[in-house]
Amino acid sequence: MTSLHPSDDGRMQKGFAAFPPVERWNDWEEGGRRYSLVATTCFNCEAACGLLAYVDQETRTVKKFEGNPWHPGSRGRNCAKGPATLNQILDPERILYPLRRAGARGDGKWERVSWDEALDDLAGRIRRAILEKRHHAVMYHVGRPGEDGYTERVLAAWGIDGHNSHTNICSAGARAGYAFWMGMDRPSPDHANAKCILLISSHLESGHYFNPHAQRIIEAKQKGATIIVMDPRLSNTASHADQWLPTIPGSEPAVLLAIANILIRERLYDAEFVRRWVNWEEYLRDGAQGHGGTGARTFQDFERELERLYAKYTPELAEAESGVPAATIVAVAQAVAAAGSAFSAHTWRASAAGNLGGWMTARCLFFLNVLTGSVGAEGGTVPNAWTKFVPAPHARPPHPSNWNELTWPREYPLAFFEMSFLLPHFLKEGRGALDVYFTRVYNPVWTNPDGFTWIEVLRDEKLIGRHAALTPVWSETAWFADYVLPVGLGSERHDLASFETHAGSWLGFRQPVQRALKERLGEPVGDTRDVNPGEVWEENEFWIELSWRIDPDGAMGIRKHFESPYRPGEKLRIDEYYRWIFEHSVPGLPEAAKAQGLTPMEYMRRYASFDVPNPAYRRHEQDVPAEEMAQAAVDQATGRVYTATPAVPSPNIVPVPVPPPDAAGRRAVGVMVDGTARRGFPTPSGKLEFYSSTLAAWGWPELAIPTTIESHVSPRQLEPARGEFALVPTFRLPMLIHTRSGNAKWLNELAHSNPLWIATTDAQRLGVETGDLVRVSTEIGYFVVRAWVTEGMRPGSVACSHHLGRWRVADDAGTDRWSSALVRIDEQGGGKWRMRRLKGVAPWASGDPDSSRVWWQSAGVHQNLTFAVHPDPVSGAHAWHQKVRVAPAEPGDEDGDVVVDTAKSHAVYKEWLAMARPAPGPGGMRRPHWLLRPLRPTMDAYRL
Amino acid sequence: MTRLAWVIDQTKCIGCHACTTSCKSENDVALGVFRTWVKNVDVGTFPDVRRHFAVLRCNHCEDAPCVEICPVTAMYQRPDGLVDFDESLCIGCKACMQACPYDAIYMDPDSNTAEKCNFCSHRVDQGLLPACVVVCPVEALLFGDMDDPTSKVGQALAGHRVTVRRPEQRTRPKAFYIGAHEAALDPLAARHDEMYMWADNVGGQRGGGTGNGRTNGGHSRKLPVAPPARVAYDIPKPRPWGWKVSSYIWTKSLAAGAALVPALMHITGLETSGRLFGRVAPALALLFLALTGVLLVADLKRPERFWTILVRPQWRSWLARGAFVITAYAAVLVPWAWASWTGREALLHALAWPVVVLALLTALYTAALFGQCEGRDLWQSRWLVLHLALHAPVAALAAFALLAPLAGGNVLTISMGEAATALLLLSALLATGEALQGHKSPNAAAAASAQWRGRYAPLQWTAVLGGALLPAALLAAGPVSLYPLAGALALAGQWLQAHALVLAGQNPPIS
Repeated sequence: MTSLHPSDDGRMQKGFAAFPPVERWNDWEEGGRRYSLVATTCFNCEAACGLLAYVDQETRTVKKFEGNPWHPGSRGRNCAKGPATLNQILDPERILYPLRRAGARGDGKWERVSWDEALDDLAGRIRRAILEKRHHAVMYHVGRPGEDGYTERVLAAWGIDGHNSHTNICSAGARAGYAFWMGMDRPSPDHANAKCILLISSHLESGHYFNPHAQRIIEAKQKGATIIVMDPRLSNTASHADQWLPTIPGSEPAVLLAIANILIRERLYDAEFVRRWVNWEEYLRDGAQGHGGTGARTFQDFERELERLYAKYTPELAEAESGVPAATIVAVAQAVAAAGSAFSAHTWRASAAGNLGGWMTARCLFFLNVLTGSVGAEGGTVPNAWTKFVPAPHARPPHPSNWNELTWPREYPLAFFEMSFLLPHFLKEGRGALDVYFTRVYNPVWTNPDGFTWIEVLRDEKLIGRHAALTPVWSETAWFADYVLPVGLGSERHDLASFETHAGSWLGFRQPVQRALKERLGEPVGDTRDVNPGEVWEENEFWIELSWRIDPDGAMGIRKHFESPYRPGEKLRIDEYYRWIFEHSVPGLPEAAKAQGLTPMEYMRRYASFDVPNPAYRRHEQDVPAEEMAQAAVDQATGRVYTATPAVPSPNIVPVPVPPPDAAGRRAVGVMVDGTARRGFPTPSGKLEFYSSTLAAWGWPELAIPTTIESHVSPRQLEPARGEFALVPTFRLPMLIHTRSGNAKWLNELAHSNPLWIATTDAQRLGVETGDLVRVSTEIGYFVVRAWVTEGMRPGSVACSHHLGRWRVADDAGTDRWSSALVRIDEQGGGKWRMRRLKGVAPWASGDPDSSRVWWQSAGVHQNLTFAVHPDPVSGAHAWHQKVRVAPAEPGDEDGDVVVDTAKSHAVYKEWLAMARPAPGPGGMRRPHWLLRPLRPTMDAYRL
Repeated sequence: MTRLAWVIDQTKCIGCHACTTSCKSENDVALGVFRTWVKNVDVGTFPDVRRHFAVLRCNHCEDAPCVEICPVTAMYQRPDGLVDFDESLCIGCKACMQACPYDAIYMDPDSNTAEKCNFCSHRVDQGLLPACVVVCPVEALLFGDMDDPTSKVGQALAGHRVTVRRPEQRTRPKAFYIGAHEAALDPLAARHDEMYMWADNVGGQRGGGTGNGRTNGGHSRKLPVAPPARVAYDIPKPRPWGWKVSSYIWTKSLAAGAALVPALMHITGLETSGRLFGRVAPALALLFLALTGVLLVADLKRPERFWTILVRPQWRSWLARGAFVITAYAAVLVPWAWASWTGREALLHALAWPVVVLALLTALYTAALFGQCEGRDLWQSRWLVLHLALHAPVAALAAFALLAPLAGGNVLTISMGEAATALLLLSALLATGEALQGHKSPNAAAAASAQWRGRYAPLQWTAVLGGALLPAALLAAGPVSLYPLAGALALAGQWLQAHALVLAGQNPPIS
């Protein structure tokens, strides 16, 4: 085997390798030290790149992390955060033992507690809630999971619809935009083979999946691909673009539809692909009338419809909306057309996460993929389910039979997914209460909008009975927990993940490296606590233990899901969980392991990754197999193919939509295209849905085809003369990752302030220079921040990175001192809150001499506190962009000041809630059953 | 022949800083210092603006100034071209930091020795690529033998137009850039503001340029017109030398002048047997030479290793040569003083010329040392040797004027006052004349601007007006009773002058 690193084995310079050869990973001498090398997976961003830990044989401590040369996504390379994992495991600030609150919530008084005490208390409460049918009272709220399927399986085993996520402050808009087209809610752009790459994102510096995508985008660029980037701010990514389109926030769909218009008008699109794969017949039949069309029936009629529908999106109109010159838009359209089906495009947050109607950005972007025939094509954009592999575990609990309205309220039947950021408002309104609330590597007080409302609710023991924070580090949210339960970092935990980084599928195995090393050396291993620092554990073993304590005798039917597949009736060991998967659910892995004389588990312990053979391209064109056609029926009106043949269980349980069955209950397996039954797409029509019957039927007929929606921050909503701007508060920095990297000194040394980016012309108008303090006022309050006057900002908009502004209220505990300011929070009654910075980042004495060498003072400003919730009525996404007023700071204002009125934030919540079009939809349903949904409950639970 | 080199492809670099942290990890680099980093420069006006990256680090120069200036061979060049360091030898003099025109060297706060990128020599020696090369997501960092046409480095050099940083420094750097923007490589092309786009800019000494080599001496934020290039991100860089070095120049001048003047008087037959010249002057010379030594050692980060400079000198280094000059001067000064105190005329006579020669060398060698500081163009001025030549007698005469009343009857003569006046005027004229003339490089011009118009102008003008012209006027026109005041002012002026030179020389960004 040849390592995947491009410079390994003398490929850069004869005689030089990038990594020690895998045969010598058991004993490697370097710089006078002997190491054992153990591969694992990074736990910083969602890309889950490979890491290789160098464990000093003498001290048994990790000395450094390099990349894993066998990882198919990251190919031995990392961003700044990979090596900085070392900082995180050695952080003198980290929590080493479980803690229990000793005073009132948020008072900051803690006592050490045993895992047993915490487990018994939590298990007892969960057991009572389940037995008393209060299923909604137990909730698991996860940030970026970094794993596939494990915890959902736990919740399903408990029989609760208790999954909550961060998705709706992140990717809900993009997911909705993609899902209404193709069912699957994520794009998997094949950047490496693209001739034109259009990014409404900054994937050369951040995002899903930064390092793997950046590698491939730059590869394509070197091969001559055209790079187009839409971003109102000059990102590092925009700097690499052949065409940077600094669009006015919210105008992206108009620009995309103008490009579409050019492709359509000039017949530059792939008409054959559109004819075969777009549900144009359904549009003509059911949708056209509602959009001013006629009763035509042929594809030529549809082509005329396209021309008619998009004729108004001229480059000139797009210029007026976006500020991007019409000529640039024409040039971009030509580059897109020239690429043909080798056109990869991607958006994940950005405009889709910023604007009211942001999901339409993704829908309009994917429209370009459809028009160019690049969907599923080499160099195009592939549905993520084709490049992601989630292997099935040994036991799969049934779907929960209850529906949690705290996460899936009826106002948002089409949301992608849980309305997580509305939780405190729901609890305030009396929609329910939580008995046990887990936050898991999640920091809603800081990360979500409206953090003071979160604090109000988290403090209220009537609304939240027990709050257990599973976290490797202190966070603003953990400060308001009853239990702080320390869990491991990238080299201290097990997880299995697969992400759609390129046109291929892989599995990445995160493992506690000390445990893997002990196994390798034949030393006895108890659980992961035995090898981690202090009593730091891993969630996966915690859940097994907790589940056994919820159902100690197995009478509740929970325990059986946590029993060993190898030792019947006995408690599942975590290595057995993965061993079974590797032996049974990963095609090719047992054979690859055998070829090296290893068991599948030994193979994964060594390589921590596997390249799963899995075709990535044009799966929609696959014929429906003969065995499925045996009991098939074709709906003559729609061409949809249904079968009565039961589905063959796939080892890959990647979530896919479930298109509605026919009247006879037969499942949809394909679609007729030119007389042949093809696999098609998992949508109601089996095709790419230009016209979404779902949107039409669930109250949004006017949005059923790609169109534009006016953003809440569009220029028409702003009065520049009053100092009003659109604030883009979402951009990330290349070297940080939300609130997970506050414990990495090297990363915080590189980035530690988030000034307000403001265009030179705007700054001159306001009389502001770089370094001056400005007050940024939102609907519910204001924050005070320094100005970064720059040419790299669209005039009329301002931007502030959300990666900084960490704070703590106690000097020596709470958020890491590498990254946080000491603040005073004053609660002034009636929902009025005020935060003032007492001290910036400052040196302190610790076991790490570097803590006394901290040279920076800035910690940034916590802007999210001043944002009200903005739930998009369709996607459920929080529309992050803010209409703000920017003015020079007032007397008495200080850097980092935050002032908020949560009564106002609740009023804004009510305003946005009023825009929703609630369930029930057709059939009295809470949500279209076919749409993706984590922890999908039983059909009965869907009915209102 | 093997010549190890970097090729840094800025057409690929995404500015992610993976190289920065992998280097910190691989080489255990402390907070506050860097072996490699990524500078970001925004060039242009909206919407025709782009951010340009430059990965900056040691260039492994073929003519490495850090190797030349190192007094103890702690910095050395290997046959394969790799410029490495030996922390077990380094005395922490920081001269290499002044010699490097690329900001590549820092003092490690743990070992208190000079460190920098060494191609990860511990990896290279066992056939592993440097850590940054391995981590780079986009293969922007190429390492290899530039003389091997099969290597990626060799092929990149053959197939691309490449540039290097600061070619005018003539160090023959072996870090070659593909597609780097000039404004990112030229340290003076882009202005620094008081902050960066996501980091603090600590140490305002970084000031900044204005896009075409001119500088406004650190007051860039009030520029009326925004220049087209602006530093969006950079790391902090400390100023290696401060008051101890300024004071060393000052004490050394006095130590030299205090013996030089009486020795010359002796040679020319003037009376030197009085208390001032016969007793106080030799004591002054000895005292200030001792102080010079104390300051030199105190400025070392590893003062306990100071003696190694004498037992394993690197002879090309003017720091090493200077140490021997000072030692030799001390060797003649002690018997000279003894002879002077005890009235041994024959010995005085025999030692007069050696004292003159070694005092002059002591006063002047610093010009050669500063000349080896390739990173500080202001110090490379050919006028520096004249400055130092004037400093020694001026310092001595000023000290004599100050101490004359204490020495009793031997009041400084009017003619000596006139000499001092002339020397002070000459010194002021030289200084201002130098300021007015053109500078040999943009870096020198930027430093001179900081010295005369920017942040160090108060120091410099106080030195010229209050420390040279005012005492000159007092000496020329005032009563003799004011001579001590004039002497004190002149001495203070000399220190300020030295300090302004030391600080201003280090002011312009060099990376």
